[in-house]
Amino acid sequence: MPVSKVLTRGIGEVDLRDLKVYRRRGGYRQWKRVITELQPVEVVDLVSKSNLRGRGGAGFPTGRKWGFLPNNGRPRYMVCNSDEAEPGTFKDRMLIEETPHQVIEGMLIGAYAIGAKQAFIYIRGEFKRGYEVFTKALADARDAGLIGEKLFGTEHGVEITIHRGAGAYICGEETALLNSLEGRRGEPRLKPPFPAIKGLYDEPTVVNNVETLAFLPYILKNGPEWFAQIGPPKSPGLKVVSVSGHVKKPGNFEVALGTTLRKLLALAGGPRDGRKIIAVQPGGGSSACLFEEHLDLSYDFDTMAANGTMLGSGAVVFFDDTTDFVKAAHALVRFFAHESCGQCTPCREGGHWLEVTLERILHGGGLDSDIDMLVAVARQLTGINLCPLGDSIEPFLASVVKRFESQFRGYVRKRAIAV
Amino acid sequence: MTASRDFAETLAKVKPEAERLMAQYPQKRSALLSILHAFQNAEGWVSPEALAAAAEMLDLPVSVVESTASFYTLFFRRPVGQYVLQVCRNLSCQLNGAEEIMAYCREKLNVRHFETTYDGRFSYEEVECLAACDRAPCMQVNLEFVYDLTREKIDEILLAMNAGNFEVAPLPQTVKPDVTWFVAHEGEKKSPGAQGVSSPNDPGGIGDPSGRQMIERIVRDPRLVEARPTAERLVRDGAARLEAGAEH
Amino acid sequence: MNGAPKEVTLTIDGTQLTVPEGTLLVEAAKRIKTDIPVYCYHPKLGPAGLCRICLVDVEKTPKLQIACNTTVAEGMVVHTYGPKVEDGRRAVLEFLLLNHPLDCPICDKGGECDLQDYSIAYGQGASRLADPKEIKPKAIDLGPTIVLDDERCIVCQRCTRFDEIITLERSLVVKDRGQRDVIATATGTPYVSMFSGNVTELCPVGALTSKTYRFKSRPWDLNRSLTTCVQCSAGCAINVDERHGEVLRTMSVPGDDAVSEGWLCDRGRYNVGFYSDPRRLTSPLLRRDGEWVQLGWDDAIDLWAKTLREAVDSAGPKSLAALGGGRLTNEEAYLVGHVFRALGCENIDWRTGRQRQASPGPRGGTYADVESAQALVLVGVPAAQTAPIMSLRIRKAVSQRGARMILVGDYVLPIRVAHDRVARPRDLASLDLDRYERIAFFWDGIDPRVGSELNEFAESLAEGRKIFTYINGETPNARGAEGMGLVPRSGGRDSVGILAAAHDGNLRALAIFAANPVLHMPGGANFVRGAIKNVPFVVTTELFMTPTAERSTLVLPARGPFEKSGHTFDLTGAARVLRPGVAAPTGTLSDLEILIALASALGVDVPGPVALHRQAVLHAPWVASGFGDPALFAEGELKALRAGPKASGLRLVIAADLFSGGGTVYHDDRLGELRPLATATLSEHTAAVAGVHDGDLVDLVAAEGTLSGLVVRLAPNHVDGTVTILEGLPDAPASAFESGQTVALANVRVPAGVA
Repeated sequence: MPVSKVLTRGIGEVDLRDLKVYRRRGGYRQWKRVITELQPVEVVDLVSKSNLRGRGGAGFPTGRKWGFLPNNGRPRYMVCNSDEAEPGTFKDRMLIEETPHQVIEGMLIGAYAIGAKQAFIYIRGEFKRGYEVFTKALADARDAGLIGEKLFGTEHGVEITIHRGAGAYICGEETALLNSLEGRRGEPRLKPPFPAIKGLYDEPTVVNNVETLAFLPYILKNGPEWFAQIGPPKSPGLKVVSVSGHVKKPGNFEVALGTTLRKLLALAGGPRDGRKIIAVQPGGGSSACLFEEHLDLSYDFDTMAANGTMLGSGAVVFFDDTTDFVKAAHALVRFFAHESCGQCTPCREGGHWLEVTLERILHGGGLDSDIDMLVAVARQLTGINLCPLGDSIEPFLASVVKRFESQFRGYVRKRAIAV
Repeated sequence: MTASRDFAETLAKVKPEAERLMAQYPQKRSALLSILHAFQNAEGWVSPEALAAAAEMLDLPVSVVESTASFYTLFFRRPVGQYVLQVCRNLSCQLNGAEEIMAYCREKLNVRHFETTYDGRFSYEEVECLAACDRAPCMQVNLEFVYDLTREKIDEILLAMNAGNFEVAPLPQTVKPDVTWFVAHEGEKKSPGAQGVSSPNDPGGIGDPSGRQMIERIVRDPRLVEARPTAERLVRDGAARLEAGAEH
Repeated sequence: MNGAPKEVTLTIDGTQLTVPEGTLLVEAAKRIKTDIPVYCYHPKLGPAGLCRICLVDVEKTPKLQIACNTTVAEGMVVHTYGPKVEDGRRAVLEFLLLNHPLDCPICDKGGECDLQDYSIAYGQGASRLADPKEIKPKAIDLGPTIVLDDERCIVCQRCTRFDEIITLERSLVVKDRGQRDVIATATGTPYVSMFSGNVTELCPVGALTSKTYRFKSRPWDLNRSLTTCVQCSAGCAINVDERHGEVLRTMSVPGDDAVSEGWLCDRGRYNVGFYSDPRRLTSPLLRRDGEWVQLGWDDAIDLWAKTLREAVDSAGPKSLAALGGGRLTNEEAYLVGHVFRALGCENIDWRTGRQRQASPGPRGGTYADVESAQALVLVGVPAAQTAPIMSLRIRKAVSQRGARMILVGDYVLPIRVAHDRVARPRDLASLDLDRYERIAFFWDGIDPRVGSELNEFAESLAEGRKIFTYINGETPNARGAEGMGLVPRSGGRDSVGILAAAHDGNLRALAIFAANPVLHMPGGANFVRGAIKNVPFVVTTELFMTPTAERSTLVLPARGPFEKSGHTFDLTGAARVLRPGVAAPTGTLSDLEILIALASALGVDVPGPVALHRQAVLHAPWVASGFGDPALFAEGELKALRAGPKASGLRLVIAADLFSGGGTVYHDDRLGELRPLATATLSEHTAAVAGVHDGDLVDLVAAEGTLSGLVVRLAPNHVDGTVTILEGLPDAPASAFESGQTVALANVRVPAGVA
């Protein structure tokens, strides 16, 4: 049953950055309703009922995350994570640049629900245009009395501050983001304590992804059942999926979870002329590769996890039969090594080691033992890191070495330089 | 590189913005990144004066500000060109021909990754995923996107930038850049500024950080010098033995 | 709500144990003598979770957990060994050793290196690296004391966290990102800190090494003794490592929670080269006809005893005097008083420097009490300059308890923290200090007028509150000397009076015990020199030919603290033990032995060892009545502080620097860079007004004299309108001047060679 889009509806047709346009289409009505008619705990309840799971990569149930905040009278903060830098993901940038008000409304509702008077949005440093658009949207919304203190004649209010990043993928990890927001190096923190207890400025904090928050107005408008009934019950709702790679028409597609990778491929125009898709990375650079036999799997959090990979942030990259998987693996390993914060030993040293080894293999200096070593070292550095970045190095690498071992061996045979 | 600019002017421009930024946060330290962005927007790079000024405003030691700034790749710690070209080298772009594009850029500009052209106009960097994978291969010029790159498009924009009528404004350039803005190792080999600090090559009374004295002592030990065969001595001894009629 | 802490029972390696709730696994394991390997974790720095070597297997959790950040839970079952754990440790070690240089043969840490030890225990042996190791800068001259080797660094960040959490100075930071992480200071700034040596102990590998110890020795060649440092009044426990009769280095004592908490200041740590300096005096020297003549010990003691007897017989005991004792052990100090009082002499005083009082009074607190203070009132010479370990406690109170800092007068705070400042102690009444329940007061013991004004205020708050008082003075065992009675009783002259009497020719014999009044005694070097000149027989016990010894008649070669046994009192009055760590040079005797010999020659009975021990340690030391105790001062000294007329010029601040002095530091060539230049430090504003710049040369002019050729330095934290000079510099002695007086700067010039 086709489900109508909500987040991406109107993009490219009308200017949703214009506050008037947004309001004419019903924008900010839910915010007003929430702040004047609902108690925060009611909002939390509604969101929990919708079974909304985080859209930033971890897929944690949002209502449950909000429930972790302690009742200790400390000030609370809502932080919107717009540090989108996962390879293959470009949905948040679209939301920020094309429908900023949707995100603002979601932030306001989310902040109100958790009792936060101040919300922050952390926008990746490279999104200069997005920052400018969002700044203007905030100013417009503030002028219209939608942001600030004592709104709509109530005692409640939420203030929003924009914070720009400066070029660090690791700041997408929630505790690293909080450190960066505090003006420090964007290094992940030791957990425990968790951000819900000690987050921003050591106060209870919730970090949610842009897309997660953007869904809130619609969940409130259509009711939680509307969302919960789309797709598989444990992994329901709509999702904006970024599809790219060897496809004819890459782009962002808002789909119901539970669709298939094959359908996503079709939405993206299918493979290039005369080519066949032989592999697909379903959840961003940190996910293991799936292959042609998996194209009909249900695209949802649990099915992906059950098949040894993940849905992650919903970034799907299709590989056709021209792909050099050694180069692809190298690109991703180099990425993780470059973005490693350097705090913990396995990720810092192991990631760099793998990058150097793959580079040597690419330049013809590889040994057969290197291939086995790649897999062994990647395995060995998984599971013992301070944050998930270290654990993100192995999945893609191991899955393509296993499936396309001949390509890797091929490089070794090519020996261009003596080792 | 000589500083041919008046930092006081920059500071006067940035200070009100910095105050506004600091007021937005419950703790003013949070404004550090944004303040450094403001300085970079004004000068084209994050200069040592900017770091010191930020430290002053935020009540932080300079060491901490430097430590924080060095973590983030968008802060240029040395002067860069007027146009900073950052081409994505990550997965989706690679699948769509980014390598070729990058090779072409390097060839056209005659630079390598992390280098600035000789005329100081273009800085070139290969960066990670820019979240524009549907318009791959892509790049950013001064943080503005240029999508769907082809060789022709590259030629086109380079032309426009050289002519000064490209849609993206050039960065302010207060100091002429060097070949690279990459800071190789933040630690220095010698820490100047301490009173009478000894050089590793001439440690004086404080011990020998480089171990050179110890090695010198061993190498130049007269008992060892005599025993060690040098070419000169071999020749000399050999000649002496020949003269004495010894067998070799 | 009961006060008993909850307890948790868990099992580690099959052994059940019960520990308080909230204990970290890594600490719990220590209770059953199981050492979980750690690098970044340190008991005083807390967990950081960076190195990942402390992985353990906690049942019912799928992944290995780091023991340093896992708190115990009821019924937890933990395995610290086993295949899973060993795999994890092997993995982490492989990653650490990957780019670690094969420096063991030339690395100072070899033999006491955690990386070596854990590699043997848990490592895999061969390396799988097929590429060249990463090359990074080695032997980086980080500052006057420390050398950094980037290749060896495992980025455990103990050093940066030490600088952030313990010293609050934040000089060392991590720069860059990922594999290029590097420890550094602010660009172009050296790592200068009074506590820099501690990072060499914290560093688990040989990345941070001491310049004074580089390439000197292996740990197994060293003989270690545990003793007490006597370079300042703090009284830290210290480990002395000697080899072949030379003190090569010292190390901290981690279990010394009473005083040092396992830290050492650089003065105590590094000022050890003088023990084997060739300029050590090794035989008694007698000045005869302007020349020094060597004398045997017997002859020297006999001469001294004879002179004393003759002086008493002809001019009475009032013609004798004994100065010094603040650098002696308690036993020695006691004997000084005992012997001279046996001769009827009451001209005995330990105060040969600026410090005039040692015991703070009945409200004297302990080191731990400082940490619990809610407000700290700091007056006079900063603790960081006189007893640095006390300064660390002050910093702890501020950073961990949020204690409020109040500075009085021109006190210069060494770190950037928020503080209040008042001009005089009585102005403290204008602050709302009465809302605190625990307040600590610090005074340097120098100006009794300041002390008694401060005391008055402290007493006014004492009702229903905990008041802790401390004197952080410049003289190391002042507490011991004062406690053993080296202060003149009725009829005796204090040190000022003794020198006045000397000046007037009323003294026949003067004994100076391990003191250097020419350099340190207020009144000026000229006055002291002139006074000593007028005494026919001056005996000095010293290690080196100091300016005071030079002017003496008889110089007796004495021993340093590491060569003696005995006791001292730290500044809180607790007894600390000295044990000899190195053999003294032949020909020297400790002051104890000298005094016993003198007593024997004089026919004076000396208490036996048991009685002496009891006196030195077990008897509670004499306690003053409070800051500015009138019993210690002449009447004139206690006149109320006058608010002087506003004079034009700058207000003088005489700061202390533990690396100044004419004795042990002056004769220690390993300390070259650490000896301070003669500087005049100003705040930026004051310098601008005075028209001087950093690096200029300037003369300091006052009625009492001129100090020429001072180097101007600009520094934050210095009060506007003041100029700070250092006490005790042999090239620019400041003893003629007084803190608080007015001076002027003159003859500003740029040094030659500077553009």
